[in-house]
Amino acid sequence: MRDFAARVLLRLLGALPLLLGVSLVSFVLMALAPDKSYELAGRAAGTEEIAAMQRALGYDAPLWRRYLQFLGEIARLDFGHALSSGERVTTLLARTAPVSLAATLPGFVLGHALALAAALLAARWAHTLLDRLLTAAASLGMSLSLVVVVIACQAVFSASDGLDWFPVRGWDASSIGGYLRHVAVPTTALALGGAAYNLRFYRSLMLTELEAPYVRLARAYGEAPGSVLLRQVLPNLWPAIATRLLYSIPLLIVSGSLLIESYFGIPGLGRLTYEAATGGDQPVLKAVVTLSALLFALTLSLADAFSRAADPRLELR
Amino acid sequence: MRTRSARTGILLLGLLAGCGGDAPPAAPPLKVYRHSEDGAPASLDPAQASTVHAVLIARSLYDTLYAYRYLARPYVLKPNLAEAMPEVSADGRVYRIRLKAGVRFVDDAVFAGGRGRSVTAQDAVYSILRHFHPDSRGQGAWAWRGRILGLDDWQRAGADFDRPPEGLRALDARTLEIRLLQPYPRLVHTLALALAAVVPREAVERYGREFGVHPVGSGPFRLLSFDSARAVLARNEQFRREPLDLAAEGFDPVRHAGLGLEALDGRVSPFVDRVLIDWVPEPAARWTSFNKAAEIQYTVLPPSQYDAVLAAREPLALRPEYAQRFVAHAALENSLVYTSFNLEDAAIGISGDPERDARRRALRCAIVKAFDWPARNARFYGGLGRVFSGALTPSLAEFDPALPAPARDVKGARALLARHGWTAQSLPALEHAIPGGPLYRDMHEQLAGFLIDIGWPAGKIRARSYPSFGDFDRATRQKRAQLFTRASHLDVPDAAAAMQLFYGPYAAPGPNTSNYRNAEFDRLYERAAMLPPGAERTALYRRMNTLLIDDCVGVLALARTHLHLWHRGVRMLPDRDSANGFWLRYVAVD
Repeated sequence: MRDFAARVLLRLLGALPLLLGVSLVSFVLMALAPDKSYELAGRAAGTEEIAAMQRALGYDAPLWRRYLQFLGEIARLDFGHALSSGERVTTLLARTAPVSLAATLPGFVLGHALALAAALLAARWAHTLLDRLLTAAASLGMSLSLVVVVIACQAVFSASDGLDWFPVRGWDASSIGGYLRHVAVPTTALALGGAAYNLRFYRSLMLTELEAPYVRLARAYGEAPGSVLLRQVLPNLWPAIATRLLYSIPLLIVSGSLLIESYFGIPGLGRLTYEAATGGDQPVLKAVVTLSALLFALTLSLADAFSRAADPRLELR
Repeated sequence: MRTRSARTGILLLGLLAGCGGDAPPAAPPLKVYRHSEDGAPASLDPAQASTVHAVLIARSLYDTLYAYRYLARPYVLKPNLAEAMPEVSADGRVYRIRLKAGVRFVDDAVFAGGRGRSVTAQDAVYSILRHFHPDSRGQGAWAWRGRILGLDDWQRAGADFDRPPEGLRALDARTLEIRLLQPYPRLVHTLALALAAVVPREAVERYGREFGVHPVGSGPFRLLSFDSARAVLARNEQFRREPLDLAAEGFDPVRHAGLGLEALDGRVSPFVDRVLIDWVPEPAARWTSFNKAAEIQYTVLPPSQYDAVLAAREPLALRPEYAQRFVAHAALENSLVYTSFNLEDAAIGISGDPERDARRRALRCAIVKAFDWPARNARFYGGLGRVFSGALTPSLAEFDPALPAPARDVKGARALLARHGWTAQSLPALEHAIPGGPLYRDMHEQLAGFLIDIGWPAGKIRARSYPSFGDFDRATRQKRAQLFTRASHLDVPDAAAAMQLFYGPYAAPGPNTSNYRNAEFDRLYERAAMLPPGAERTALYRRMNTLLIDDCVGVLALARTHLHLWHRGVRMLPDRDSANGFWLRYVAVD
């Protein structure tokens, strides 16, 4: 366990140059983002008001100084206040990130579980009618935009002329019942939307693994195909599956699912990020970029340490 | 064991108490109105209330000295936090305003004992002054800059709130005096702006930048929660008890028939306990939610849905399946949509050289003649927009109904170009600045089609797309756009608000993004700005309107119509103009 923690820590330290690079690239991109001074100064503002707003926002400072200030904010993890609402950025993130996670995690888990189960079936009966049906369903799912899936789910489960089981939109996490009512349709949409991509990925992973010599050996010893898949192949695929899952988590927290949050009226981080990007709210953007870079660095480190723990051969390479 | 016995005893006692004697009466269910908006305000600070969404909520949480009558159109001012209309000196330069007694801010930790204190004239002074303080990021300085005695000097001297300028003072706790540099009849309109809402200084100072999410007002509602998806407002129990006087608010039994407002006459507003405002930019989600009985009760319908919902446009009628459940109301917006020329542009602008300017004017006028407003209206505004000539929109009292709406004249445009020697080879390249998105791209394609019809080579008309509306707005305000279409909401329902869009000293980055400069127009504008509403002022504005039309400063214009839909059982007349937003206090739910 101590080795595992040390490995994660080392990887995290190694990620520092990456974080610095991400901060520089994102800062340059943010410098090209919409100039908020015109909007904040108001529609009828003249030259004086706009110039005053630019000074207040620090746009008149040279870029290098603004970048150093950004690095200072990262070091302190204090990004000040959102330009739009005036709310503290850390408060905003603390309020919205858990909402995004609570709204998207069930759909994420369900989508992967469904995809894994379907991929097992497709791999077990590869190149049969069942496999073709599942592959066709996955292709159809991948061709459909998530917007269509969301609107269809709302029409089926929530609309007054549909099943009318759940609210069309809104968010209530104050009780288990409220949460389940509000998360049910977003979960369904996310699971359906995500399962198609994951099914293709897992199926191809399994089919490749089924070609491995140890599988042929197990089959030669008379082990049933289903048993080989579950007892031999699946454990060997865990590092790849875990890596895919871990890599998805930062996106889940940081960007949530913008479409899901917008269409279902969920006050999460995805929507906040989108509005900050289109509106040029740099303090929020800086915080989100930093948070996502940190989460990715942590995820990379965890995935690496996990893979090495699961497969000792990696240490020898 | 002892604890469990004690709990059982308490439970039994509770049950006995519940069985015997009189049970306390159940609280009546809360009356809740569920509203929706197609965009969200970024901040709840009234100093930043510049969008219709921000105005709506600011006017519900805060008080302004003046307001507009609920139902009267064109808009008519009325006292709100002020006791009466202002006393104005004979020379029109001194305004004295008395505040109503006993008005209190909502309870908040910022006040002694947590109990809201009285609203004073000092608060009204502070609320205007903060627009001139660099820390407050107020967006309303344009309304008072250069108008109030000593205000600009006060700002230059460091903006010390403890030493207000000579022209803006509280004479006592309830009397405000404003001294002007010159007559400014529009002042009362500016005091009805959401930007001028009265805030307590200690709350602004205590919450700092977070005042934008921590409102402390004296309006009809107080805030319970606010995020990117929803705002929840609760009735302000301390709000002054003023019965609704329908006749005084401009009620017309014919125009307002079927809204059920008569039942509210004489009752004290607000009429609901809670207002839930959902911010729903996606029309599909809004429509599905609106169609359910238990979700949002109001929506503004996008033009793309008119055909599916309306049985007729004139007179407005819903399809039978919707008419049973919903009420519809079409309201003309206090705004103008127009395609503007940058008159500083080297190809189509005004240079000062008479011969060159005559040829360029011919170019602009040919574009105006080529423009097919009915087609634009049908394609993008559901056929409900109102096309008119000039900039005096139909919602203004100065609107001239005798002025014919612009009509397409392809032959006339071709002849005009030929008369001034323009050929396909010599016509300049046009760059149409548009915000990103398919809607604006479609608008551009339609405009290009109009111009091709008059002989403009297709290769010389191109769109310059900006990634966001903010980028597009910045380009127009930095004079980088040659030709662009925009919709301007009039901040106040006054002809000056429309005409300032073409007033020379307000050239970009100010509101005159056309950069139109005409000495006669500017002189008339300045003269009209000092006149009270009346025949003389109307004549001046109409003359200015004629100048705009003659100079072909832009393809003018269309006023959008908003189609409001709400559930039967909700009694109201909604309005999404920047001039209004006061109506939420009068919403009733059966």
